[in-house]
Amino acid sequence: MQEQLKQALDFSNYQHTFSIQKKLLKERTESKLTYGYSGGIFYINQTLLTFVDMLCQKGRTSSVVLLDNNQNPILIKDLETFKDEIFSRYFEVTNEYFEQYDKIKKSRSVEKLLDL
Amino acid sequence: MKKGIVIYAHNNRSIDYALMAIISGGLAKKNLNLPVSLITDDSTVDWLKQSGKYDIACDVFEKILIVEKPKTNNQRFLHDGDAKITIPFVNTNRNSVWDLTPYDKTLLIDSDFLILSDNLNKFWDLDVDLAIGESINDIYNSKRLGYLDKYVSETGVKLYWATTVMFTKNENTKLFFDTVNYVKENYQYFGDVFRYDTRQYRNDIAFSIAKHLLDGFVETNIGRLPPVLSTLDRDILVSVDNNSLKFLINYRLDNNYCAASLSDVDVHIMNKQSIIRQSEKLLEMI
Repeated sequence: MQEQLKQALDFSNYQHTFSIQKKLLKERTESKLTYGYSGGIFYINQTLLTFVDMLCQKGRTSSVVLLDNNQNPILIKDLETFKDEIFSRYFEVTNEYFEQYDKIKKSRSVEKLLDL
Repeated sequence: MKKGIVIYAHNNRSIDYALMAIISGGLAKKNLNLPVSLITDDSTVDWLKQSGKYDIACDVFEKILIVEKPKTNNQRFLHDGDAKITIPFVNTNRNSVWDLTPYDKTLLIDSDFLILSDNLNKFWDLDVDLAIGESINDIYNSKRLGYLDKYVSETGVKLYWATTVMFTKNENTKLFFDTVNYVKENYQYFGDVFRYDTRQYRNDIAFSIAKHLLDGFVETNIGRLPPVLSTLDRDILVSVDNNSLKFLINYRLDNNYCAASLSDVDVHIMNKQSIIRQSEKLLEMI
């Protein structure tokens, strides 16, 4: 029984560390997906990517006003360049997120989690 | 416009804020690639010289500005894991940063805020004159926080965290810092109005009240820096290696600990003694 209890407590400790490491990885990813442009702050997510892509497809590529995170209007002079930057940032950051998350998932001890 | 970072450090008998400022300043300089200046006092500089850290300070800081040490009756109760101490808290002169900063655009940070990423560089061009850390973000989860970590009182306004303050030096921000000073000088009166505890002066409260007044007595989304990721004073920084900080997290605040490690994100470490204990390793990171 003592051994089972010790195993349960070890697992409990592991779970706490696991959830903190997941949270920190998410924080890091979110801050890397925050993008300052022309006096505004944009969070790069699927909504922004889709909206910007749709505007480009419609031919609205110069002097477009977008609302930033704080709902302030920001003038984007060249939307194609903006789109390229947010797409490349999004994939770079989410790929890194995936790799790091995968490492966390596969680390089955507190020591391994801390060494990542 | 010249950008830079400013840190205040006034030592007391228990905490070497100057050493913390060297660490914090060194990391900010390295990761944001910007100059850093220190605002301090004669006795703190004397201690820097005695402790052999003055040369490092001269390397880290572009300018070391000496001011009179503010007189304070502020006492603060601090944990160091499960140990506790009461210390005098010398922090009542932050509003002077507008006059003292050598920069056109300034990021004011606390000496226990360690910048390990370039995230804050995104906010320099924000289309506002002044921005403050919008809230605290507990490293474990928000259940460890109380109402008074989010609001100035049970019936008061939103609490901003003056751990990070970014401003452009102009007439608007002069008005802001003058208002902070006004709140400070009338702390009891504003305590009656906003119902906060007046026994201890808190910059976070004075800055929050000033922001509330100048925002037109309403809560706005304007002028916010990212939430301040924080470890509490009951958590312990236990080791530093390979640019990674390892903590024991007092996750239920009952002295049961779990481990966590952190790199590449900015962090506010409220357990100041644990920063001092790890100072040699932290100095290697700058």
